[in-house]
Amino acid sequence: MEFSRVRLLYKLISHNQRLQARRHPMFEKKMVMKILSYIFIAFWAVYLVMLGFAAYSYFEGSALEAFDWIDGGMIWFLIVDFLSRFAMQETPAQNIKQYKLHNIPTGFLLHTFLLRMGLQPYNLFWAFFFVPFGLLSIPHFYGITGFFGFIIGWWLMYVLNSYWYLLWRTLLNRNFFFIVIPVITYAALAYFGIFFDTDSQWLFQGTVRLMRGFCQWNPMCWLLFVAAVVPLYIVNFRLQKVAIYVEIAKTEVVKQFKTHNMTFLDRFGVIGEYFKLELKSTVRNLVVRKQFITGALCMLMLCGLFSFSDIYDEFPFMRVFICMYCFTCLGVMTLTMVMCAEGNYIDGLMVRKETVLSLLKAKYYFQCMILIVPLLFSIMPIMEGKITWLTALGCMLFTSGAVFPFIFQLAVYNDMTIHLNEKLTKTGRDTKVQMLMAGGALFLPMLVMYALVECFDDSIASILMLSIGLIGTVLHPLWLRDIYKRFMKRRYANMDGFRNSR
Amino acid sequence: MNLTIEKLTKSFGDKQALDIDHYAIHSGEIIGLVGNNGAGKTTLFRIILDLLHADTGCVTIDGYVDGVPVSCDTAKSEEWKAYTGAFVDTGFLIDYLTPEEYFRFIAKISGIKDDVLHDRLLQFDGFMNGEILGQKTLIRNLSMGNKQKVGIIGAMLHHPHLLLLDEPFNFLDPTSQLAMKYLLETYSHEHKATIIVSSHNLTHTLDICSRITLLEHGLILKDYDRDYAMLNSEIEEYFRGQQSGKI
Repeated sequence: MEFSRVRLLYKLISHNQRLQARRHPMFEKKMVMKILSYIFIAFWAVYLVMLGFAAYSYFEGSALEAFDWIDGGMIWFLIVDFLSRFAMQETPAQNIKQYKLHNIPTGFLLHTFLLRMGLQPYNLFWAFFFVPFGLLSIPHFYGITGFFGFIIGWWLMYVLNSYWYLLWRTLLNRNFFFIVIPVITYAALAYFGIFFDTDSQWLFQGTVRLMRGFCQWNPMCWLLFVAAVVPLYIVNFRLQKVAIYVEIAKTEVVKQFKTHNMTFLDRFGVIGEYFKLELKSTVRNLVVRKQFITGALCMLMLCGLFSFSDIYDEFPFMRVFICMYCFTCLGVMTLTMVMCAEGNYIDGLMVRKETVLSLLKAKYYFQCMILIVPLLFSIMPIMEGKITWLTALGCMLFTSGAVFPFIFQLAVYNDMTIHLNEKLTKTGRDTKVQMLMAGGALFLPMLVMYALVECFDDSIASILMLSIGLIGTVLHPLWLRDIYKRFMKRRYANMDGFRNSR
Repeated sequence: MNLTIEKLTKSFGDKQALDIDHYAIHSGEIIGLVGNNGAGKTTLFRIILDLLHADTGCVTIDGYVDGVPVSCDTAKSEEWKAYTGAFVDTGFLIDYLTPEEYFRFIAKISGIKDDVLHDRLLQFDGFMNGEILGQKTLIRNLSMGNKQKVGIIGAMLHHPHLLLLDEPFNFLDPTSQLAMKYLLETYSHEHKATIIVSSHNLTHTLDICSRITLLEHGLILKDYDRDYAMLNSEIEEYFRGQQSGKI
């Protein structure tokens, strides 16, 4: 291909990608939402800058240089970055599909998207941390060129991490169990590289030497990066090439489904019907099922940690705190997207009377029923005397009567449809309001508990939480109707949002 | 069931999608809504069904249900939902249910007992043509034609007094199109229901409708009473004129 055509195509594709991001349904929302999203980004940027200054102050004067501590802990930075990419980074296969029938070589498309992936601005986001930190710690030893080497070195590590993430994200789309490999890799690196042999700490020492090499512009370090990134790039290239055809030829395997009437729920009338709908939605829709399984695994993990280990036993507050999260985590994780699945068939619901109210009630009862699982897990810590029955019941009722009413408010504001069986990740699914509410739902109980445990003793705190929760639980018909009324007031805007994002 | 539209306007940005000063549909009529793409047919349906907010004006449904007089503005009350059935597009279907589950769900929330549901589904046997029930398939895995059938049956299951169907002949094979026509005529005759159907298929629309309304650029251009020969020639002439104007 001629260079001028390469340049033209690259420019066109880049332009389209920018438009895609800019014209994302979320980006076309109200000004308030836009400002909120900018505030959200600015918050993290400022937070990282502060962290950069704080890290320097913390490590200054220690046995090692401040930058050595940070460089040595590279694995932790990369793990956090890897996790954050689940919400940020898409795979190229789904974007290439739309260009596939045009007169553009597939190889060129793949190179373009992979290259843009490496150059994406997100890889530079951590610079908010490394620039202030590097400015304070590096020039003193390696001069200003050393500082630039440090910043570029870290950026290259994030580029490497983005390709590493892409590899597993693509495989994960085929089979969820591929998640095991990066988890094991990071865990093994951290364990064997740092904790296993505390004398050598080869990973710690190795990353320190690598980054010192970058600061000194040592050619070996740059070569090492090239030696790591080239195979990763090639593997990704080949994998994406196959993934495009998988994506294009993707046909849903039509399974045979038996009709389940779940007649035992018939006695609950219309609510029972919506309860069945909630159960079937969770079982039969890939995205809803994954969301539920992830939440349930988190809940079980927390329950397991609480019941079978003593890592949270040192402080009374921590015991109540972890007990609380056993109850709240699944609800918060699934209810953040409340009504988003229903966006697919909202028109059908809205032409029938008060269906949304019955649906909300069914969802609430479904979530409340699940709370029995952490309550059962609490029996062991109760027997061991870690917490009392009062605390466990207090946490459970506080979840159903205070946390759920809070997170259910999202039913009024959520207006983005989630595609029920979408296999590939689409970023930007969570709105900023959802993030804020989820954050609130996670921190609210902690704040309340902290205040109660600090002001009173354990049992009085538990009684107060139980009372607050009991009131909220008993009054659920009232607050659910209030949510329904507010939903109906916003119905045109919400339905518009649901239709536009289908 | 009567349906009255007063001073209804709706625009999307600069584009006027609907502008209807007055339009009345009387009980028992079968209305055919015809017009080119972008004429405002679906927008009108959505506003009638309170799925879209009108800029001005209102839609009122009134009549008798079981001998009791009813009247309501569709944007201000939900009472009309009990005696109205509608299918606009697949966004009305809960596609992770099997057709049987979907019909049962609608029956339950509409207060229809299982045996009654069974009898009612028998009436749609010919229309379903053995392709809907007992397939062990979720709605999302059905063909577009069969999804359309599920939606239409779902809209008619609770015997609504007012039935709105947007492009009901779409995706249906010729046999099912004929069955659809028969179904609508029989339903109107048996239940004295008011039916509003939008369609691009002029032949079918003219065959079954007692009144044809021609909508273009959001305006009601013509409102014809049934006189098949005259209607056919006039409507065809209109669309031919539109086409030659474009060519």
